[in-house]
Amino acid sequence: MSEKPEHETLIFYVDSRFERMARRPGGIAREEALANAQSHVDELKFDFVDWLDQELQQLDAALSQIEVDPNDVTVFDRANNICSQLRDVGTTMGFELVTFVAGSLCAILETIRAGATYDKEMIDCHINALFLVKTDPYRNMSPGQLPEMSSGLRRIVDLAIQTTPEEPGPEAEQLAVGKIPLSEGDDGPR
Amino acid sequence: MKNSTINLRDLVILVADPNAYLRRVVHGMLRGFGANKVLEVTHSFSLFEALTGQKIDILLCDTRLPPHGGLKATHTIRCNVYNQNRTMPILLMTSDTSETMIKRARDVGANMVVAKPMSPNSLYDRLSWIALNPRPFIDTATYFGPDRRFKIEGYPGGVGRRKGDKAIEVAEEVGPALAQNDIDKLFSATRSGQS
Repeated sequence: MSEKPEHETLIFYVDSRFERMARRPGGIAREEALANAQSHVDELKFDFVDWLDQELQQLDAALSQIEVDPNDVTVFDRANNICSQLRDVGTTMGFELVTFVAGSLCAILETIRAGATYDKEMIDCHINALFLVKTDPYRNMSPGQLPEMSSGLRRIVDLAIQTTPEEPGPEAEQLAVGKIPLSEGDDGPR
Repeated sequence: MKNSTINLRDLVILVADPNAYLRRVVHGMLRGFGANKVLEVTHSFSLFEALTGQKIDILLCDTRLPPHGGLKATHTIRCNVYNQNRTMPILLMTSDTSETMIKRARDVGANMVVAKPMSPNSLYDRLSWIALNPRPFIDTATYFGPDRRFKIEGYPGGVGRRKGDKAIEVAEEVGPALAQNDIDKLFSATRSGQS
């Protein structure tokens, strides 16, 4: 005698409004839609540098507070959030290096969260790099075009991981082992 | 599939991301695609409030959405049998593209994952996929969400990151451990029990 299953597996189709309406005729052709979207993104680029400046000032201030009290979770989260924001929009706005350096700093912050010692030189190095790569000459440049800076930041992350008692988050590991490419086609440090 | 054009007009699109600037970017991209009803929320409390009061057609949610995170929010939405938006498509946006994260996103019921930093191409193609490749829903004791065993037959309309694609002034994404293609493959990898 078989027992009645507690939860029968159901497979069903949902004709969602999204699928239904998105398939309607009359949509903007893909090429045109992409061009329109890019144009909206380009409009935002005008005030991106101002926004970036403000975020960097706030990040710098938050990191200074962490230096005083590394256990201040609120300030730490604020710094981490700002850093993540820079990483998430940098490339989209044409500043690939901002994404790269901010990603590296996120990895450093992860190691501090995991118990690594706050190293002022490591942090300052990243902040200085951020202030540098946000300037116009570095717009549209990839990390592969600045191999010394890129590999230097990687070594810093690697060093931070080595001094971390707990396992840091995946991002730090990815950066350290070179899974994050310096640029398209680059497999990372050999 | 010959035509990858999607029509987003009059669809209610909810963008949930704590990053104000990124919300503006995504909002701008969606407007460019033809969307005219884009809502924004900054945390999961306002997300759940928005989902309770109205019908949302698609959710774009960041995995770092405070305070619960996008994965938990997705899981909560899929588990709530009383919510009219339980089966809406959910596109998760993340900068953590480790394999673990992508599998977790898939297993909480996300339809797709798009890697940050994102480009108009990457966002458009994932929206196209969701719209033009409908998948059945699976309801089991341990999972509720779109069928994880689906097969990607290629980009809708045969477009995507190929040499012949139109060049666009957005740099390639850099940073993820998994490239967007790998993320998409991972979503389809369960087809033959590969993961």
